[in-house]
Amino acid sequence: MIVNNSRGPRSAESFYRRYVRAKNVLFKGACIAATVAILTLLALVAGYLISKGLSHIGLHFFTKLPIPPGMEGAPGGMKNALVGTVILVSLAGAVGIPVGMLAGIYLSEYSENSFLGTPVRFIADVLTGVPSIVVGILGYELFVVPMGHFNGYAGAGALAFILIPIVARTSEEMLRLVPHSYREASIALGASKARTILEVVVPAATGSLVTGVMLSIARIAGETAPLLFTALGSRLLTLNPAEPFPSLTVQIFAYASGPYRDEQELAWAGILILIALVFAANLVVRLAVRRMQTGEAAR
Amino acid sequence: MRRRGLTADAILAGLARAGALSVILMLVVLVGVLIVAAWPSIHLFGAHFLVSSDWRPNELHVPLHDRLGHVVMEDGEVAMRIIPPSFGALPVIYGTAVSSLLALLFAVPLSLGTALFLVRLCPRTLKTPISFMVEFLAAIPSIAYGIWALFVLAPFLQLHLEPALRSGLSWIPGVNNWLFASPAIRNGVTVSTPLPLTGRDMFSGGLVLAIMIVPIITAISRDVLRSVPRAQVEGTLALGATWWQSSWEMLCFSRAALFGAIMLGLARAAGETMAITMVIGNNNQIQPSWFAPAQTMSSLLANEFAEASSTLHRAALTEVALILLVMSLLFNIVARWLVVGRGPSGAAAH
Repeated sequence: MIVNNSRGPRSAESFYRRYVRAKNVLFKGACIAATVAILTLLALVAGYLISKGLSHIGLHFFTKLPIPPGMEGAPGGMKNALVGTVILVSLAGAVGIPVGMLAGIYLSEYSENSFLGTPVRFIADVLTGVPSIVVGILGYELFVVPMGHFNGYAGAGALAFILIPIVARTSEEMLRLVPHSYREASIALGASKARTILEVVVPAATGSLVTGVMLSIARIAGETAPLLFTALGSRLLTLNPAEPFPSLTVQIFAYASGPYRDEQELAWAGILILIALVFAANLVVRLAVRRMQTGEAAR
Repeated sequence: MRRRGLTADAILAGLARAGALSVILMLVVLVGVLIVAAWPSIHLFGAHFLVSSDWRPNELHVPLHDRLGHVVMEDGEVAMRIIPPSFGALPVIYGTAVSSLLALLFAVPLSLGTALFLVRLCPRTLKTPISFMVEFLAAIPSIAYGIWALFVLAPFLQLHLEPALRSGLSWIPGVNNWLFASPAIRNGVTVSTPLPLTGRDMFSGGLVLAIMIVPIITAISRDVLRSVPRAQVEGTLALGATWWQSSWEMLCFSRAALFGAIMLGLARAAGETMAITMVIGNNNQIQPSWFAPAQTMSSLLANEFAEASSTLHRAALTEVALILLVMSLLFNIVARWLVVGRGPSGAAAH
């Protein structure tokens, strides 16, 4: 930056002014340029991923199993990986959503006069920042070592570990959005606290709770690192989580890093599925938030 | 009737408390299990682990020499000396630090500029689509950025940007030796050979991390800047400040929270695994050049953990994970304290 320290009494005053004004224009332009640069770059990335995925996706992606390179019909599809991801995410959700939801209920409804509230909230926040590869190692030590081999339960466990703090914090925020008067009215009618929570507060927040859960499900469905040494991946279609278990992300990683062109094309198609999932979740959340805001404004 | 209500109360309260306690338990288990699993390595290498750059999972067999330099023979075979495996985390700590800082170097100015634009300049009609796009891009899985970087960014760097930088910057004294040459020892003399440009190096790792953390830093600093009290901005404008002068005032006013936002980005960059594993080149050595392949803590884990055969190798990798965990916990704690923990204005942002 050019700094002008020699400000004379009169004529330099106008020079200083000009300098300030030039700086103003310069930085305003820089902010606009930064925004344009970022949006262009990110649009290029997203656009490239989507167009590449669209050009390689087809029915075979969903209906066929992987066929080894060199054999007739290779590379097949990723049916096994899709089924695997759905099962892994369902298992993780079956554990993670109830636990996270209960923690969220505690944080929003019970923590007011408790010494637990602040540390739990803080730890949940910090846990959402733990690198997911580290969670993978925890899954390895807790599930793979005792069972003696890589397995799907370990992958689901690692995903649940990531899911719980996210669900806890989002559901707390969603429950806090329910007006306090609802709770007061319910208590005033003689309902117990449990009844107030289960039949008034949670139903009032159901829509936003569901969208919050959707976002976190989309997040864990896209996780690769925690599955690398827990579920490991598999090119077979398996429904038994006690075995090494396929997942979309790990298979994409293997295909993308591999040398075969047609497998790389499958990887692009897989990426498109993940992006579509994230996009749908974000869109639903946006729409739900807008509906809530307009609903509140009308009230 | 009344009693049943009371017990339902007790059950729900108990369940909710159990859910909350399980969050605390998760952190304890995470740290505890990692320490136990890493113990063989912690015990054997101690603090030396942090400063050593050896990474040899297998033992070395070296021929024994006598005082004259001849190979020692035993029973008609060459006598061997066995050097035990050795592990040190310095190269990966260096790799993580440099790649994350490179990412911040690119991402912070762009993010802060965009945040200012969104808060102070953006037309109302553009606000929602841009915000949606930023949030959507923050949610794209890292494997997607990784595959893009591998097939688009790395070839572009290798074929276009890096050769251009080499021919454009080499004339500056010192730059050629630092960025575009790799020192090699031949016959006891250090010679520098031109570095092969691969596009899979520290620089491209830093770039892809930057692209990934831009949406996060932008979103958080947008919220932070939005929570600057109106009077603060109006005060500067009333004193005749230009747009930039009052914006600068906003940045200064919320510098602690902005620093927190940057640290959250840093924590994400340091813990990021898939994208960086695909483009950093996975070379476990410290090289001063940004255009040389490198390795980060997370990419080392992704590459080696599943195939680690010995207990010690796995323990050493787990210790690397432990360092990564402690680092990210520290970053997150400081960042959250800065962003959220400071008075009502910061809290309002979240």
